[in-house]
Amino acid sequence: MEIVVCVKPVPEAETRLRPDAAGTALDPEGVKYVLAGYDESAVEQALLLRESIPGSRVHVVACGPAPRTEEVLRAALALGCDVATWVDVPAASADEPLSAARALASAISPHSPDLVLCGKQAGDNEAGVVPAALGELLGVPDLSYVLDVRWNAGASRFSLKRASEAGLESWTVPAPCVLGLQQAWNDPRTAKLPAILKSRKAPIARVTPPSAAADPASSPRRFELPPPRTGAKMIEYKTADEAATRLVRALREEAKVLP
Amino acid sequence: MTRTALVVGELSQGRLAGATHEAIGAAAIVSGSPAGVSVLLAGRSARTAAGELARSGVARVVVVEDPRFDAGPPAVLAVQAAATAARIGVGVVVVGGTTFGREIAGRVAARWDGAVATGVTEVAPEGESVRVRRPVFGGRATETRVLGGPRVVLAIRPHAFPTPASDGPTPPIEVVPAADLPAPLLGPIRTGVESAAAGAGPGLSDAAIVVSGGRGLRGPENFHLVEELAASLGAAVGASRAVTDAGWRPGSLQVGQTGKAVSPQLYIAVGISGAIQHLVGMVSSRVIVAINSDASAPIFRVADYGVVGDLFEIVPALTAEIRRVRAT
Repeated sequence: MEIVVCVKPVPEAETRLRPDAAGTALDPEGVKYVLAGYDESAVEQALLLRESIPGSRVHVVACGPAPRTEEVLRAALALGCDVATWVDVPAASADEPLSAARALASAISPHSPDLVLCGKQAGDNEAGVVPAALGELLGVPDLSYVLDVRWNAGASRFSLKRASEAGLESWTVPAPCVLGLQQAWNDPRTAKLPAILKSRKAPIARVTPPSAAADPASSPRRFELPPPRTGAKMIEYKTADEAATRLVRALREEAKVLP
Repeated sequence: MTRTALVVGELSQGRLAGATHEAIGAAAIVSGSPAGVSVLLAGRSARTAAGELARSGVARVVVVEDPRFDAGPPAVLAVQAAATAARIGVGVVVVGGTTFGREIAGRVAARWDGAVATGVTEVAPEGESVRVRRPVFGGRATETRVLGGPRVVLAIRPHAFPTPASDGPTPPIEVVPAADLPAPLLGPIRTGVESAAAGAGPGLSDAAIVVSGGRGLRGPENFHLVEELAASLGAAVGASRAVTDAGWRPGSLQVGQTGKAVSPQLYIAVGISGAIQHLVGMVSSRVIVAINSDASAPIFRVADYGVVGDLFEIVPALTAEIRRVRAT
């Protein structure tokens, strides 16, 4: 089975966010980029499926600029992915979800994978658009908010769980399809040192999509940080009952979040 | 110039989801009034649910009575939405901020060739374009984007837009046949649903109020304090990673970077110190209340209201006070 897993480089969680000079995007200066958490779950799922389906191959694909995109592809190779493709597009294209989906689809389509796995969204833009857009562009069904994917060879279908407002849904989905993975339902493995060293020299195929520019119909205007919180208004009280009365009054009359 | 809009409705057990009313509210802002908004409802109960839009003042309700929309994945409704949007000739498609809405938005955007934004909290027409604001990085920053071109797709964030008043004219109902649904998209089959934890209360991601408990509760035997407070408020229950890692409560309740991101109207953190990994999952809540014994806990830096004290005294008193207020 040919399994493609799409990953995105995102700033690590502890990054101090700062707008760039134009004020329209995150300033990438000094930012360390890592595999998005959702994508780690997707890579783990891909590797688990490879282990359970003989003759499978995991092909990791990422779009974005150098060097961050190459770095996360090497991180995925160190985790055990077999081959890697770098879709070379500017950061603005990787950050506009439909442009990113188009770039990824152009690189994935020639390989006719049986399964495309993505994180259901990335931790930076949090758009959650790519899995469904990839499904449309590749002409296959998609589901997102997915966990625990298994292959049922007899039926030629995947069985999986999907976390929705209704609860935990069970689905069966035929191959080929695109699945957007929930974060943190599996326990992603960590790379071992020999694999990390080996991944540094591994070949990465570089492709350029037919249109690398970001969709001009969607342009970032402003990237801003919330005004610094001034800290909580502390409820003064002598007894617990008094604390409760004052807090409820504040929530009803000041904050107006309770009827 | 404003754009006419199509809202893709979501049916939940035969009724219109709250997210759909919010989507109509957002669409009316883009279109200038509800009269510029059409609503698509698809599924066996679509015609009945259309009755819930009486006096909504929208332009029309397009009803597609076809069971394939109940059983199938969100993708089939996305195909119908793109076809209906093209037929009516709208300039913007709006979906609610549910898991379902997000999935619809991606496929409609790719299929209908529209510029797309999800998790939208503010929207305004700007000349020929649509300006949106949306939280990014777990609410630690906000992005403003301008979506131009003839077609725009928006998925709104839960609780960001008010439900519009129902004092307008009752819209006409147009019953139309289903669009041509590509066979591969009908391949996925839902085989069952385990309803959300114990079936009690609203889901974490779309609750208007969330009450979360942390390590300060000291043990699973005390977590009922959080659950009782949540019950008094009709709120969803959440937990910090310390609680789910320790197995006091299932991982599905975890709020944070490695769990769920929530943005309710009111978030009450009980006995949670406020590690960054928790904060990124809840900091975009509208009003945050922290109850903690440690006055220097980082949670108080992001909270709007703080109570420093013994949660074992404060929380039961708060539950009692809310019950009292609700009863009067």
